[in-house]
Amino acid sequence: MKGFYVAPYLSILIFIVIGIGLVLFTFFLARLIRPSHPYPAKTINYECAELPIGDSWIQFNPRFYIFALIFVIFDVEAVFLFPWAVAFGQLGLYALIEMVIFILILFYGLYYAWKQGVLKWV
Amino acid sequence: MDFQLPDYNLRLMLPEIFLFLWALVVITFDVVTKRKSESAAGYLSLLGLLITGGILSFTGYGRGFGTMFFSDPMALFFKVIFLGSAFMAIGSSFGITKQKIVNHRGEFFGLILFSTVGMMFLASSQELLSLYIGLELTTIPLFVLAGFFKDNKLSVEAAMKYFIIGAFSSALLIYGISFLYGLSGTTDILQMKINLAITHLTFKNIGVTLLLSIILVIAGIGFKLSLPPFHQWTPDVYEGSPTPIAAFLSVGSKAAGLVAFAKIFVNGLSAFYGPEMLPNDWGKLVATLAVLAMIIGNTVAIRQTNIKRMLAYSSIAQVGYIMIGMVAMNELGLSSVAFYAFAYMFANMGAFAVVAIFEDKTGLTQISSYAGLSKSSPLLAASMAVFLLSLAGIPPLAGFMAKYYVFAAAIKTAGSSASSSWLYWLVGVGMLTAVFSLYYYANVIKEMYFSKETSPYRVKFSAPALMVVCLGLIGVFLLGLYPEPIMRFASDISASFGFIPN
Repeated sequence: MKGFYVAPYLSILIFIVIGIGLVLFTFFLARLIRPSHPYPAKTINYECAELPIGDSWIQFNPRFYIFALIFVIFDVEAVFLFPWAVAFGQLGLYALIEMVIFILILFYGLYYAWKQGVLKWV
Repeated sequence: MDFQLPDYNLRLMLPEIFLFLWALVVITFDVVTKRKSESAAGYLSLLGLLITGGILSFTGYGRGFGTMFFSDPMALFFKVIFLGSAFMAIGSSFGITKQKIVNHRGEFFGLILFSTVGMMFLASSQELLSLYIGLELTTIPLFVLAGFFKDNKLSVEAAMKYFIIGAFSSALLIYGISFLYGLSGTTDILQMKINLAITHLTFKNIGVTLLLSIILVIAGIGFKLSLPPFHQWTPDVYEGSPTPIAAFLSVGSKAAGLVAFAKIFVNGLSAFYGPEMLPNDWGKLVATLAVLAMIIGNTVAIRQTNIKRMLAYSSIAQVGYIMIGMVAMNELGLSSVAFYAFAYMFANMGAFAVVAIFEDKTGLTQISSYAGLSKSSPLLAASMAVFLLSLAGIPPLAGFMAKYYVFAAAIKTAGSSASSSWLYWLVGVGMLTAVFSLYYYANVIKEMYFSKETSPYRVKFSAPALMVVCLGLIGVFLLGLYPEPIMRFASDISASFGFIPN
């Protein structure tokens, strides 16, 4: 029984080793059989994206963050609403009250943000 | 499928629910009233804490949410500590909310209340995941509070450090919890205790995995407790964050860590204590860290010139003393831990309150700036002296009784069998380093009383600050002179953990 508790993880370890090894092996194989002929046109974005203009490290309005945060609140709410709706038949009135409380708390947060003037884009 | 609702027993959760709703009101209070009043939000949150305390006194013992939410002696005792430390932190932050935090007073107080709610949940949860959620609710508001001086570089640095360390330690803790779950198949602490013992007896070889989970959980909680070697963030964060928040971190957050530690180790892993449990003996591991805490805390504090950094190192050392009670594992052990935390709350919150009052007036936190304070503001100097002497453990103050109980608990176990005689060494280190600690505490008193110059600062108490200092003084003297009632209440804690006096 020695090592009983760690033993199932051995297969995961083997998978990791095989996974990394397979990628390395194919790269190695490709390197062996492909012709080597680099020229500049090979390095540009081919049907992947636009050529970037300027630097991506620029300043932008912090209000985006706050909007994103408020969006996330209601995003998470939806995540909780789906399983609740599925199990609603069995849970009954109790679950309804609980969910109303949960949503009220979230709306209180929105009310706070509103009063703070967060939603105004000045 | 028929779904059976667990027995909620929401009555037991009433204090938490009330405080949470109150915090919601406080957080929007300033915005809704258009910031007309300077200190209304502060008084409102003090009132909320008092009402919560009132509700708590009627709550009584019991369990709710199946076996997830316990209202046991430990929970009630520590909830009083959390409410008390939040009360004293809020009481001593009226100065900074008048001068520095003008636009976000409601949020400042509201976040302290949210953190307190998290601590209270943690103290009641008897299940690893709800315990973890309680710990998160405790720390996340504190990240924000540490960086509340947005224009101050030190404060921002403190918030950043605390955030990164806090997030990292939470990850370690939840990783350790996942191993515990893997070993026992449950997150219920009482069930885990039984399952782990059965697994251990059946397989004889859960050593490495269990050791790993023990180390991870100690590291995760050790960061919250600032137990060496996980203490490096403490002085920087205490120095940078607003002083009342540093006080709250050093008492409230630490007491929360202590509860989590007691629940996971003293209760859940109690079978894995003692020399026959090698390599899974967490007792000696924690004792080693306690020795490190006492030595590092007490020696490095000597060199500090900033009083907040000095108190940070002193708080590291105090955790070392508390851990002596934690590893004692007898009917006095947890009671002495609870008593220590209670006594430490009064002394440390009091000392930080004096630092906050002084800082509001002068903006200085250097120990040398306290020179000659006894001549210009004798009351402030006298109360600071009392708090520091209590922290050092001078009779007849609370700190002395606390240290006495902790040492007594360890000596009792040490004397019970030859295999636990190493606890004598622990007590020895504790006593020796307590002597060192007197040096740096007395150094501040020397500056205040025996300096030739007279301090140019005449510091007056505001009403809430005076209340906090008085509360601290009453607590320090009462617990030192008449500790029996509190200790009697605290002894229920050990009994509820299954340590029955023989």
